[in-house]
Amino acid sequence: MKVINAVLCPGCGSLCDDNEVYVEDNKIVKVRTDCAISTSKFLNFNKDRNTTPLIRVDGELKPTTLEAAIERVARILVEAEYPLIYGWSLTSCEAQKKGVELAEEVGGVIDNTTTVCHGPSILGVQDFGEPTCSLGEVRARADLIIYWGCNPSSAHTRHMKRYSSLSKGRFRLPEQRKVVVVDVRKTPTARNANLFIQVKPNQDYELMAALKMMLQNEEIEEQEVAGVPVEQIEELAELMRSCEFGVLFFGLGLTMSEGKERNIDGAITLVRELNRWTKFAIMPMRGHYNVTGANKVFTWQTGYPYAVDFSRGYPRYEPGDTTAVDVLSRGYNDATLVVASDPVANLPKDAVKHLCSKPLAVIDPHISLTAFMADVVIPCAFVGIEEGGTAYRMDGVGMILKKVVEPPEGILPDTQILDLILKRVRELKGGR
Amino acid sequence: MFSAYTATRACGVKVIMVELKLKMKGQSVAPIEGEMLTPDNLAKKSFNEILNLETWRGNRLVKLSEVFTVEGESTSNPSDLHLIIEGDLRKVRHIGAHMSAGKITINGPVGTFVGFEMSGGTIVVNGDADAFLGMGMSGGMIEVNGNAGDAVGSGYWGTRCGMRGGLIVIKGNAGAELGCWMKDGTIKVGGNADVFAGVRMQGGTIFVAGNVGAKLGAAMTNGKIVVLGNVPSILPSFNIDEIRANTKVDGEKVQGPFYVFYGDITEGGNGKLFISVPKNAHLKYREAYLL
Amino acid sequence: MEYLLKNGYVVDPANKIDCERKDIAVKDGKIVESVDESKAKVIDVKDMLVMPGGVDLHSHIAGSKVNIGRLFRPEDHYKDYEVKKGVRRSGVGHSVPSIFTTGYRYATLGYTTVFEPATPPLKTVHTHDELNDIPILDKACFPLFGNNWFVMEYIRDGKLEECAAYIAWLMRSVKGYAIKVVDPGGVEAWKWGGTVQDFDQEVPRFGITPREIVRGLVKVNKMLGLPHPIHVHANQLGVPGNYKTTLRTLDAVKDLAAGDRPIIHLTHVQFNAYGGVDYLSLSSGADAVADYVNKNPHVTIDIGQVIFGDTTTMTADGPFEYKLFTLLRGKWANADVEVETGAGVVPITYSRSNYVHAVMWAIGLELALLIEDPWRVFITTDHPNGGPFTEYPRVFSWLMSKEARAKVLKKLPRLARARTNLKDIDREYTFYDLAISTRAATAKILGLSNKGHLGVGADADIAVYNINPKEVNPSKDYKTVRQAFAKAYLTMKDGEIVAKEGEIVSAPVGRTYWVNTKAPQDIEDAVIPEVKRLFEDYYTIRYENYYIPESYLACSAPIQPLEPAG
Ligand SMILES: [Zn+2]
Repeated sequence: MKVINAVLCPGCGSLCDDNEVYVEDNKIVKVRTDCAISTSKFLNFNKDRNTTPLIRVDGELKPTTLEAAIERVARILVEAEYPLIYGWSLTSCEAQKKGVELAEEVGGVIDNTTTVCHGPSILGVQDFGEPTCSLGEVRARADLIIYWGCNPSSAHTRHMKRYSSLSKGRFRLPEQRKVVVVDVRKTPTARNANLFIQVKPNQDYELMAALKMMLQNEEIEEQEVAGVPVEQIEELAELMRSCEFGVLFFGLGLTMSEGKERNIDGAITLVRELNRWTKFAIMPMRGHYNVTGANKVFTWQTGYPYAVDFSRGYPRYEPGDTTAVDVLSRGYNDATLVVASDPVANLPKDAVKHLCSKPLAVIDPHISLTAFMADVVIPCAFVGIEEGGTAYRMDGVGMILKKVVEPPEGILPDTQILDLILKRVRELKGGR
Repeated sequence: MFSAYTATRACGVKVIMVELKLKMKGQSVAPIEGEMLTPDNLAKKSFNEILNLETWRGNRLVKLSEVFTVEGESTSNPSDLHLIIEGDLRKVRHIGAHMSAGKITINGPVGTFVGFEMSGGTIVVNGDADAFLGMGMSGGMIEVNGNAGDAVGSGYWGTRCGMRGGLIVIKGNAGAELGCWMKDGTIKVGGNADVFAGVRMQGGTIFVAGNVGAKLGAAMTNGKIVVLGNVPSILPSFNIDEIRANTKVDGEKVQGPFYVFYGDITEGGNGKLFISVPKNAHLKYREAYLL
Repeated sequence: MEYLLKNGYVVDPANKIDCERKDIAVKDGKIVESVDESKAKVIDVKDMLVMPGGVDLHSHIAGSKVNIGRLFRPEDHYKDYEVKKGVRRSGVGHSVPSIFTTGYRYATLGYTTVFEPATPPLKTVHTHDELNDIPILDKACFPLFGNNWFVMEYIRDGKLEECAAYIAWLMRSVKGYAIKVVDPGGVEAWKWGGTVQDFDQEVPRFGITPREIVRGLVKVNKMLGLPHPIHVHANQLGVPGNYKTTLRTLDAVKDLAAGDRPIIHLTHVQFNAYGGVDYLSLSSGADAVADYVNKNPHVTIDIGQVIFGDTTTMTADGPFEYKLFTLLRGKWANADVEVETGAGVVPITYSRSNYVHAVMWAIGLELALLIEDPWRVFITTDHPNGGPFTEYPRVFSWLMSKEARAKVLKKLPRLARARTNLKDIDREYTFYDLAISTRAATAKILGLSNKGHLGVGADADIAVYNINPKEVNPSKDYKTVRQAFAKAYLTMKDGEIVAKEGEIVSAPVGRTYWVNTKAPQDIEDAVIPEVKRLFEDYYTIRYENYYIPESYLACSAPIQPLEPAG
C-alpha cells in the first residue's frame, strides 16, 4: 500500500491540501480527512464511470472510438457560427488554457460556471475592487467572522476549522473569535454562531444600507429593516466597528438574491466603510474547486474573467449577453462543448432547452445529465485524482494537484483531449 | 407627461430625410453585429458599397446583403440619413453604436446594446428592446415604443459611469438597474421599472410613470428620480425631506403631491426621490420624521 | 539559423561601442564573430540603430496583483485589443494588458528580458503560471521578504545565518531571483490596519524596525551571493517629504558596502523623492537623492517615471494603496498574504493640470538627468504604476531632448514648474546613455552576463530601430526618436526574429531565470525542520505544497549564486 500525503482535495473551493490518500493496486482504499465531501470524492469518484467515447446515432448514444468522437467534436465546432464552450470549474488550469485557445481558434464564446455562482461578485469587484486577504490572514488575525448568505457547515465542511472561525491562528484562538451569521434561515452554521441575524429574503441590500447608516452615525427612519430590529442592527454595527480584524464571507445567498451584483456592491462598500474604523476583509465562498482558477486563467489570457466572446477574433466581454445563460436563453449559439460541468442540471430551463436543441459535445469523467443529452461524449481522467495540474483556492492561492492513481486504460486527461480537438480543428480549418 | 418628448420630435427631426431601408432576411441563430448600422457609417456610401459592407454573423464575416435586403439610397450627410431597419432583430446587437447624427427607425423587436455609446441623432424602436439600451450614451435620443430590458442607460463594465447625456424614452416597462451609474441626461419610462432603478446614479433625471421595484436610487449620489406609481419601500439610507405639491422633469411640470426623500446618505448623496403620495399610503409613517 | 545584420550603427556600451558601423553575426542563438555569408540570412539594416535587446528590471507583468488589476478593469481593455493573427494570439491592452499581448508589445519595443519585481512567495505558482504564458521574453520574479515573519524574527534575534538559510530554501523552492523588500515592516503593520511611520519605528508585535530589516537583508544577500542586490521599495512611498526616508534607507546600509559593487537597488524612486510637508507644498526632492547617489557607489535606482493618462497602480505596499484609495475614492483592491506580504491595486489618471502629478512627472526625469552615471540609474515607469511600459519611447524622447521636456513643462501648473528643477536641466541623453540605462546597466545589475550586450557569446537578443543615429538629432527630432523606438524595425530573441515593424513573426517560449541558492548544509539542516514545524502553524497550506518543481517552469534557467563577496 502506498500512502500519499498532502493531497489536494478536488471537492470544493477550500482546496484543503492535507489529505492522506492510501492507494493499493491503483485503487484508493482509504482517505485520511475529517471531511465527508472529500472522503466521498476520493472513494466514490469512480462510480458510474463511463470509459467509452459515445456518439449519438439515430437518437441513441452508441460506443465509438476516440478518433471518431474527436472528429465529430471538431466538426461541430468548426461548422458552428457561434459555438459556446462552457464549464471549466472542475478541472485544471492547464485544461482551462486549452479551452481558451480552442475558443479563440473556433471563434466561440467561452464561459465558466462563475456565470451561475459568483458572476455578480466579479461585477461588484469590477466597480469597486475588493479588500480581501488570503485565508491564513483570517486564521492568524480575525476576531470577527461574518458568514453572509453562506453555510460552510454544509458546503465547505472544513472551512471553519482550517481557515476561519474554529481555526487556531498565531494571534487568535477560536475562543477569541466572534461569529455572526446573516441568512434567511437558521442554517447549521447559524446554530453555532454568537449572533444570528435572520434577514428577509431579497432584503440583504436594505440591511447593508442600514449597517452603513449606523457606522456613519446617521439616523434611520425605521424600526426594523429587512425584518431585523434596529437594535440588533446596531449591535452588529458595533461588533463590526469594534473588532480588530473582521472578515465577511459571502455565498450564493447574497449573489443570487434580488439585485445580484448590487448586493455585492453593497457588501464591498460596507467593508470599505469598515476599513475607516478597523481592518476588514471580504471573500466570496467559491464552490467548485477550481472555479477561481478559471477566472484567473481567463483573465490573464484574455483580460476578462468569464463570458469571453472570441467571435470577432479578439476577446470581448459583455456579461449579460456573452454569459452562457444569456447566450443560451437568447438562443445565440449553434453548438456547445461542455467541459467539466453539468449545465443541464444547473442552468435555467429555457437555457437548457436551447442547449439540447443544438449539437452538444461533452468531455467529462462521468455520464452527467448533460452527457445524457449530448451528441458526443468523451470520457476523461478525473482531474485532481487521476491527473495533476494547477488549481486555485477561493482566496487565489494556486497549488499543484496530485495524480494519485492512473486513469482507466485508454482514458486521457481533458487537456490532452482538448489538444487533439484543437489540432483537428486547425486541420479542418486549413488556411481559413 | 410625454409632451416633452413629442416637442423634441416635432422640432428635432428634419422633415425631409433620405431613407435607406434594411429588411432582415430570414432568421439567424448566431447573433449579428449591428454596430455598423449607423447613419455615420452608411452615409457617403453608394448603394453597392452598402450591399457589400461586411458584418459579423457569429464568427463569420458576411455581406450586409446576405443579412438584409436593402432599398432606398444613402446621402452624403449622416444627419440627413434615415435608416429604417425591419424584421425580427432580436439577435442583432449594437445597432446604432457610436452614432452621432441622423435617425434610425427599428420596426420590430431588437437585440442588446442599441445606441451603445451614441453621442447624437435619434433612434426609434417600434417594438421591444433587449438589455443595455443606450449604454454609455452621451447625447441624442432613443425612443422605445415597447418595453426595454435591464440596465437601460448604464455604462460599460468597470467604467463607473452610465449615460452622460441625451434622452431615453420608453413607452412600456423597463428592466432592472434602470440608469445604473447614470451621470446626466433624462430617462422616461411610461410603464413600470424593475428593482434598483437609479442605482449608483450620479446625476440626471429618471421619470417613471408606473411602479418601480425595491431599492430605488440605491447608492445614488446625485440626480433626481420621479415615480408616479407605487414604490414598495424606501431604503433606510434615504430620509424624508418634505412633501411637495409638484415638481419638474426637464422643465415640464409634473403634478404631485410627492414625498421627497434625499440620499443615498451612506454615499453622502445629494439625490432626490419624488414619490407620489396618493399611490404610496404605506410610506405615510415616514411623515413622522418630517421636521 | 544564421543571420548577418549588415551595415547598422551599433550601440553596445558594455563593449564600449558607440554608433559604429558594424555587422552583427548570429548563430545558434548567440552572437558570433562571423558567419558564412553564403549560408546566413543577410539582413541589410543600413544606417539603422542596432542595440542589444532591452532589459527591464522592474515591470509588473505577471502574478496575482497584476491579475487583480486586469480583472477589475474591463474598461481599461475594451477599446484596446489585438486580433488573433498568425502566431499572434489575441488579447487586450492597455495599462494591464493580457499576458500574450504583454510579451508581443515588449518585443515590438525591442525589449527581450523583463523581470516581474514582486511575487508573494505563497502565490508564486500563480506568478509562474503567467510568466510561463508570456511569449518571447526571458523573465524572472522577485519574492517579497520585507514583511515575512520568519525573516523579521530571525533578523530580530540576530540569527542572520538562519535567515540566509531560510531565504535560500524559499528562493529555490519558489524559483525566485532576488530579494524584494516592499515597505519593510509597514505591510505587517497594515495587516492590523496600521502603518509604520518611521524608519526606526518598531513593527507591531515583532520588535524590529525597517532599518534592521533592510540591513539584515543586505547582509543576507551578500551571504547568499545573489546576483542582484536587494531590490527595495522604501518606506513612506508617496508621502510628501519622503526623500528623507529614502536617504536614511540608503545611508543605513552604506557601511555594509565593499568596493564599488552596488548593494542596494532602490526602485521607482520618483515615488520616494518628494519634498514638502503635505500635498499642497509637495516639491521635488530629486536633487538631494541624485546628489546622494552621485556620491555613493553602493546604490543603483530606477526612476518609475509618471506618464500623463490613465493607468493602474499596484504594489505589495497595501497601506500605500489604501491611502491612495482614501484620496481617490474609486476602485480599491487589497490582498494581504499570510505570513509574507500584501498587495493593493488602485486605478489612477495622472493629469497634467494636477499639481501633484505634474511634480511627480518632473521628479522622475530629474532623477534620470541629475544622476550622472547612467550605469546606476535605469529607465522604468514601474509599469503600470507610473504608466504603461508601452510609453517608454516617450520617456526616451524626454530624456534625449530638452525641447521635448519644455513642451510638456509649458503645460504644467506654474507652481509645479517652480517647485521642481527640471526646467534648469540642460542634460540630454545620447543613444549611448540610453542603451546603458535600458540594456547594458540593467543586465549588469541583474547579473545577466549574456544579456545587454552584443559581444561574442552573448544571447542574440537584438533590437534594430529604423533611425539613423548619425543623422538624427534627438534634441530636435524627438518625435522621430519616439516613433522609431515605439516600433522596432526588427527584434531578435535568441537568434530568432520575433518582431518586425510591429508584426509578431514568431513567438518562442522564453526562459525563466531563478537562482539556485544554497546556504551551508549544516545550517540548512537545522533551519529547515524548524521552518517546517512553524509552517503548519503559520500557513494554511502544507509545507510540501509550497514547493514549485523546476518542471513547472516552461523553460527553466537556473543561475548559480556568485561567490560571496569578501
Ligand atoms: Zn513596482
